[in-house]
Amino acid sequence: MLSYNKLKISEPDYIFILCVFILLIAGLTAIYSASFQLDKGDMQSNFYRQLTWVAIGLVFMIVVYLVPSRTLYSTAYLFYGISILLLILTLFSNGDGKVSRWLSVAGIQFQPAEIAKIGTLLALARYLAQNRRNLENVKEIGVSFGIVLMPFLLIIKQPDLGTSLVFLAMALPLLYWAGLSAFKIFIITAPILVLFASFNFYSFFLLMIIIASVLFYQKKSLVVSLLLFVINISVGIATPLLWNQLRDYQKHRILTFLGMEIDPYGLSYQVIQSKVAIGSGGFLGKGILNGTQTQLRFLPAQHTDFVFSVIGEELGFLGSFIIICLFFFLLLRGIYIASIIKNRFLSLITIGTVVVLGFHVIVNIGMTIGIMPVTGLPLPLLSYGGSFTIVSLALIGIILHTSARRYV
Amino acid sequence: MLADQQIKNKKKQYQYSIFLGILFFILIAQLFYLQVYKQAIYLKASENNRIRQVILKSTRGLILDRNGEVLVDNHPSYSVYATPFEVQDADTVLRLISRILNIESEEISKIIKEKQAGYFTPVRLKRHIDFSTLSKIEEYKLDLPGISIQNDPKRYYPSGVRAPHLFGYLGELTREEYESRKKQGIKFGEIVGKKGLEMIYDTELRGVNGYRYVEVDVLGREIKRLSDKRELLDVPGQNLHLTIDAGLQKFLESRMDTIRGGAIAVDCETGGILALVSKPDYDPDIFSKPLSEDIWNSLLSDQNKPLYDRMVQSLYPPGSTFKLVLAAAALEKGIITPERTETCVGFYRLGTKTYDCWKKEGHGELDLLGAIEQSCNVYFYTLGLKTGQDIWAEYSKKFLFDKPTGIDLMAENSGLVPDREYLDKKYGKNKWSRGLIANQAIGQGDLLVTPLQMLRFTMILANDGFYHKPHVVNFREDVISNKKEWTEIETKKIPDISEKTYKILKEGMRRVVQGERGTAKGARCSGLEVAGKTGTAENPHGEPHAWFLGFAPFDKPKIALCILIENGGSGGAVAAPLGGDVIRYFFNSIN
Repeated sequence: MLSYNKLKISEPDYIFILCVFILLIAGLTAIYSASFQLDKGDMQSNFYRQLTWVAIGLVFMIVVYLVPSRTLYSTAYLFYGISILLLILTLFSNGDGKVSRWLSVAGIQFQPAEIAKIGTLLALARYLAQNRRNLENVKEIGVSFGIVLMPFLLIIKQPDLGTSLVFLAMALPLLYWAGLSAFKIFIITAPILVLFASFNFYSFFLLMIIIASVLFYQKKSLVVSLLLFVINISVGIATPLLWNQLRDYQKHRILTFLGMEIDPYGLSYQVIQSKVAIGSGGFLGKGILNGTQTQLRFLPAQHTDFVFSVIGEELGFLGSFIIICLFFFLLLRGIYIASIIKNRFLSLITIGTVVVLGFHVIVNIGMTIGIMPVTGLPLPLLSYGGSFTIVSLALIGIILHTSARRYV
Repeated sequence: MLADQQIKNKKKQYQYSIFLGILFFILIAQLFYLQVYKQAIYLKASENNRIRQVILKSTRGLILDRNGEVLVDNHPSYSVYATPFEVQDADTVLRLISRILNIESEEISKIIKEKQAGYFTPVRLKRHIDFSTLSKIEEYKLDLPGISIQNDPKRYYPSGVRAPHLFGYLGELTREEYESRKKQGIKFGEIVGKKGLEMIYDTELRGVNGYRYVEVDVLGREIKRLSDKRELLDVPGQNLHLTIDAGLQKFLESRMDTIRGGAIAVDCETGGILALVSKPDYDPDIFSKPLSEDIWNSLLSDQNKPLYDRMVQSLYPPGSTFKLVLAAAALEKGIITPERTETCVGFYRLGTKTYDCWKKEGHGELDLLGAIEQSCNVYFYTLGLKTGQDIWAEYSKKFLFDKPTGIDLMAENSGLVPDREYLDKKYGKNKWSRGLIANQAIGQGDLLVTPLQMLRFTMILANDGFYHKPHVVNFREDVISNKKEWTEIETKKIPDISEKTYKILKEGMRRVVQGERGTAKGARCSGLEVAGKTGTAENPHGEPHAWFLGFAPFDKPKIALCILIENGGSGGAVAAPLGGDVIRYFFNSIN
């Protein structure tokens, strides 16, 4: 491993920073519009609050950018430990039996789940950076998954299905980047695919044939192949049974997404209204403060989870397209930097950041345009929210951190 | 090793980038599909957005009298609304609705602009439209997108009691009023109480609005109600049960119909107001109808000030009724005994000036009770000068003539007791004459009181110093649970006045009505002993104001009352007989 002493800051990535600022401004504009009301001058307080959070977030971004890489590495586990502790505290903080996503320390309220995103990312990256043994060992894969499963389970219990999925999503891309073979990835993903397919007999049947074929062509030992096959079949059978364990609204969300439940005012109402907002925006949009869906407040959570719908309605396809391209550029840049940086830990935290941000962007935008379930994941740099904005900017800081040290 | 890792990472960089590219392509493709390919459909959907939140207006509470008779009720009535977003650029709609409502279309645009609370919040164009307007709008419904009809109940007064000063009226919340009430969740343009009980108890009367979701068609007509789960039912407003006796109130209103002045009667045992009439008044119904500017201006500029509640808001010189205050002061301070006599020759000479008694030929020799009975000015000139300014002012304040009663009505005036400080300020230090003191002794001069304060004073005398805070609302009733919230009876006592003094004053008042030479013989009621005091207050506006204070029965007072007739002439001749009628009516109705 390269010595951390050689990692010196060079030129920051100016174009990258410019893109971040354009996205922040687009977000603030959309929040302003979403909170705008003719009769209530005080409604724009959302806008000013978000402005404050962006400012604090930028400070965090600069701190992450400047902090020595060694510090990030050495504090990774500590950070992770604190995150887990905070998540546990969150579960027990509400004595009245009501679960909350918030924790209050010294009068400041925040969402520990957001902090855990960074903590988990650092810890997993450090673990994988330490163990350059090509990850043949089942135990090491197990530990890697353990690192993400811990926060996943604590957050799903809050319950926040959307955010908890971010942690699961982190595992495979990081493991693969760290060197886990494609076949192992297949073995791990197959049961997940089975899980979804198991609700329909035909899809389940088809998937099992594909799995069988892959196992056959991989020419692994008969025992291993059979074992894997049996595991997948069991998952397929067990899933419908576990389904009943889910909370009603979680079931509801998934069902609605799959179009299996007709629900004119519930969650599909949100998606319909969001699609109407975006679709009616057309190519050029209705103009800022002119979106009828937005101003009429047909959109629920229009300054948080559905902020993209405001952009779609008021800035049209052109505006949405530019926003998506900016995100795409940021993420591609992150992947590129992760691939050229010679420090393994920095490479892994960068690719992890790309995964976390990318997951949010795709799931959130996908949700507003009706191709992803309503999971309640906000859109980085654009959605309203204190903890989330600050953590998003800190994540951006990680990419900047690596990028500035890429010439060593 | 390093080189190897980099090559592998190059490969993975492409894999990751391509995977990301595919996902982002899907997003952009779907966006293109929605915003470009399907734009027309979604635009139409956004224009006809079908699921609307409908406000369930809570029913405004009723106002009832002490016996449960409904005084103020709700009547269905329809208002025309316009949704700003839909009508702002639709000239044809504006022109058509302007013709139907008979309002200039510029005026309509102005109303919308002024009252607009959001693009999609309907603005009320006209309240209480008549049936033919309603049917015309229904007929042209197809040509009037954005125009809707809503039921805005109006108040009506089934009992025949007018009492506009008590009830007040309803109106739209103005932009200025909105600031102070938005915390209660009341929206700009909503109907709120503007005056009287409607305003004071607005929060209790209005209840809480609910809402539900409905599916509407292109015209905004409700097609389907959507599930009950997301509904919030409205909470009806509380009913106000007043202490007012509808019969007595109506009787007084009709008796005083052509009079300028007013009357109040109170239940001596509780402080509950039995009747409160102020004349001239106005028909409370005019505020239920579209109020034309002409009517409003004529009410405002009317010299008789019909909008004023004379009993609570207006100040008058109390005249001879105030002699009782001076008598109490002199007795308490030991300045006189009731046996002390003075001789009235029809006038009183003070320096070079003479001060007349109302009886030119004089009353002859009188003791205190006789002087009260016959309301002799000369006796009280002498007494006033003996007692002096400071003691007189002290006792005027002791009987609370400088304090409001705290009644649950608006804009109560607190009276004016001229003390030494006041007189020094007005006339210069010690520049005020003894003649001024003599005048004050008979309730003239700078002293000003409200009829309500005089009523409280009457109650104090009737109850030997005890009095209750006057109130109009007896209890509020929750119409769902029938739970009653009673107005607390606040009882206090005037300190440091002996029972003996009250006994003397009351005996004097008894003789005013029952005595052979009493000034209020017109207030006598058969089978009932009445006590009272008349007043004839000189004023710069013409004929004197006629006063009558009274309570009955003498032994165990039940009702106290105060009557004031502006420029009516002599209190004994005009006010006292009316007082008698009130007492007679009251006791007939309870027996």
